[in-house]
Amino acid sequence: MTLYHTAQSIEASALGQTIRESTWLFPAIESTHLLALALLGGAILIMSLSILGWGLKTPISELYKSAHRYLNGAVIVLIATGILLGISEPVKLYGRQAFWVKMLSLGLALMLTYFVFNPLVRRGASGLGVRSAAVLTMAAWLIVAMAGRWIGFS
Amino acid sequence: MLEGLVTKLADTPWSIALHESLYMYAITESTHVMSIMLFVGTIAMVDLRLLGISYSKVPVSQMLSKILPWTVAGFVLLVITGSMLFLAIPIRTYHSIWFRLKCLTILVAAINIAVFTFKVERDKAAWDLGAVPAKSKICAVISLGAWACVIVFGRLIAYNWFDCDSISSPIMAELTGCPLDPG
Repeated sequence: MTLYHTAQSIEASALGQTIRESTWLFPAIESTHLLALALLGGAILIMSLSILGWGLKTPISELYKSAHRYLNGAVIVLIATGILLGISEPVKLYGRQAFWVKMLSLGLALMLTYFVFNPLVRRGASGLGVRSAAVLTMAAWLIVAMAGRWIGFS
Repeated sequence: MLEGLVTKLADTPWSIALHESLYMYAITESTHVMSIMLFVGTIAMVDLRLLGISYSKVPVSQMLSKILPWTVAGFVLLVITGSMLFLAIPIRTYHSIWFRLKCLTILVAAINIAVFTFKVERDKAAWDLGAVPAKSKICAVISLGAWACVIVFGRLIAYNWFDCDSISSPIMAELTGCPLDPG
């Protein structure tokens, strides 16, 4: 079975149909997706701005203690609502370049966040390494958001 | 009066250009969404501090002086891109119930900010690192709720459930400023 066929069978699934045929479900899930995006932005920015010297003077390992909860919460909600949105129209997504750009940049953003950015911030690292990680992580999430919005246009 | 202004706006070359351009509209809307991360993201972090549930080691005064300038930058981006989005589709947006609710909620949030700035935070030196007073928590809850509603209403503008051509109740006709469909 090819990926395209998989997309077709997901599209035909009961859950996919329910979301697609409901008037309110898709917009409600989409809105939740956006709310979580805002939260993710706040959590990443409050740490990154401080790392770059443009924000709070509190040690970043201290900021991490609060921020990582919102970051994790936002990522979980984003992925859960994103999957639901995807299930409702997988065939359309399969053909959209913006969707694949988003998935690639999402993979990159998640790896940067959890394997590079978070470990450095948690131990209060300073210097070029963590600064670069902050810039790259913010850039990766911006591309994810941009490509995500672009799925609706292409 | 507003109706006439909006109709004139729709006939300007600026409006037509934005509406018909493939990339400018998409770029503007994507920038609007990315600016939400900056604006609502940072204001939410400030609100969580003012609620007393997070960042408790950060002085309130520092949270306001170091983070709010970024919030303001985000707001400027949102107003610029938002105005462009309105300019691209003025008549439909003007009548949109969601757009009207969004403007109303922004007004509520703005009043809340004014109350916080001119009243609530005046004695913040007394609670910079101590227990957050109830008045601060109330402002924070109003802010979080209002901006969340603004995001949702903004997203819903795209849906045509209550466009002028599908209005059939007198109340909705009144609220949207649409002519009542005789059918």
